Amino acid sequence: MDFALFANLAFNGLIEGAVIALPAVALTLVFGVMGFPNASTGDVMTAGAYAAQTGQIAMAGSIVAGVIVGSVASALLALVFYLCVFRFFQGRPSMYALVASIGLAFATRSTLTFFLGYDQRVFPIPLTRAFSFGPLRIVPSDLYILATSVGAIVLVFLLLYVTPLGRRMRAVADNPDLARSCGISSHRVLSAMWLIAGAVTGLGGILFGIKTVITPLMGWEALLPAFAAMILGGIGNPAGAIAGALTIGIAQELSTPFVGFTYKIGVGFAIMVLALVLRPSGLFNLSARVR
Amino acid sequence: MTAYLIAMAIVALIYMLLTIGLNLQYGYTGLANFGHVGSFAIGAYITALITTNGGFAYVSLPASVLGAALVAWPVALLSKRLRTDYFAIATLAASETLRLAIIEEDWITNGVHGITSIPNMSVALGLDVDPNILILTLLIAANLLAVALITRMVKSPFGRTIEAIRDDEDAVRALGKEPATFKVKVFVIGAGLAGLAGAFYAHYFSYISPEQFLPLITFYVWMAMILGGTGSILGAVAGSLVLVLFLEGSRFVRDILPGVTEVEMASVRLFVVGMALVLLTLLRPQGLMGDFRKR
Repeated sequence: MDFALFANLAFNGLIEGAVIALPAVALTLVFGVMGFPNASTGDVMTAGAYAAQTGQIAMAGSIVAGVIVGSVASALLALVFYLCVFRFFQGRPSMYALVASIGLAFATRSTLTFFLGYDQRVFPIPLTRAFSFGPLRIVPSDLYILATSVGAIVLVFLLLYVTPLGRRMRAVADNPDLARSCGISSHRVLSAMWLIAGAVTGLGGILFGIKTVITPLMGWEALLPAFAAMILGGIGNPAGAIAGALTIGIAQELSTPFVGFTYKIGVGFAIMVLALVLRPSGLFNLSARVR
Repeated sequence: MTAYLIAMAIVALIYMLLTIGLNLQYGYTGLANFGHVGSFAIGAYITALITTNGGFAYVSLPASVLGAALVAWPVALLSKRLRTDYFAIATLAASETLRLAIIEEDWITNGVHGITSIPNMSVALGLDVDPNILILTLLIAANLLAVALITRMVKSPFGRTIEAIRDDEDAVRALGKEPATFKVKVFVIGAGLAGLAGAFYAHYFSYISPEQFLPLITFYVWMAMILGGTGSILGAVAGSLVLVLFLEGSRFVRDILPGVTEVEMASVRLFVVGMALVLLTLLRPQGLMGDFRKR
């Protein structure tokens, strides 16, 4: 038992958790308001990463410009999905919307592979030397990833809990009919919510791409851990989703010395299934909701 | 030409078994199974392992059905606790975990390299006939049996109960029937059918590897089921025929269109499947042949 090894694994898991937290927050926002698990989230991540990489190269290598391009592109993509498809599933069985979201996931991924191929891509950022911090070996880019993720999450929380828009959004999530009778245009609120969810999702994809590589399947593979984080945190609870993502990220990394690299993802699933069976309202939901 | 038609018919009949199984689970009972390919994979691997080690198909076919059903059983128990869409995610996770296990446990499954030279149907049964005709005959028989089984099941009190579970689970519970036991039975039977499909698949293609059992296959079957009509046995038959015509037809299109690579065609195929899922659920969730009154 090597303390340094586990400390490094835990730190790596923290970074992975911070990345997965972004799509998990988007999933939980959408699930809380629209009532279905949006399986196109993963492929919107992929689209965001590809858009950012393309944008970065077009903008003379500026990663900040790339991040902005990628987030805007994925926000618009999510809005288009809402306006063209998901809008029509309100008040219908959630299975229909779930199947449609898988269809959109396939359509997004196939469009990307048709035009861009299956080759791996990387963000052209300079390599930096890892430095030691106690037992930890830290790559500076990991710290940027963590800071960006935290910044984005703080921004989303400010939007949700401080601004009038956020109050309206929570009102629609809580009781759409009551919100409408209070003069809240649910259509505008929902459009704003999808833009936010899309931007956050895309940013998650970009950070994932910076941490590893960009592939057409990266988002689909991140989808199940993000689902797991959402369920662990309790549906419609953004803070819970973040806690769930960090739990799953760290648990997956810490399990690798015991179960091997391949089963790492399986650990995430196992946690999710246990959470579903033992506490379907989520570990971090204090008020148990009936679903 | 005849050989080609037979090949297409075999593939269509394999998908048909899968679609009939899924239709029993989702179409009739409302159990959303996103991990159907997992049962298919178990059937294929059991058959491959038994017959490449000298076993006969008399053993491997029943073993595939039972094995797939047995592995599906603990997953089925989850349906007691989870509502439809959660269950769907859990089954997807289960089938992906299974695929990881197939890749990782290479001492038994040969990992990513897959299992090669699985004997064809004639060798596996020890009969001296054309293997393709034999597998076609067996597949037709299996599909007829499955259709007969499900038609009988649906017309029985059991069938009325599962359809009631799909429409209103609480009402069924209020009438004193426990939905969970019915759901578990249906899920396990559907998985057994998928296991049988997997066994035929292994014999026919003689080579299996983990990458043939991606979640995409599950959603091919979903497309076939929704296309034909959920809760309609004829719909499942028609849907799987359309699916195979589409999968094969896209090959013809590539031959006709110059300059389209197979990789690009794979993207186009995925795009069409995706858009079909979106448009069907949006415009006609009961399917082309589904009953409007039964939602």
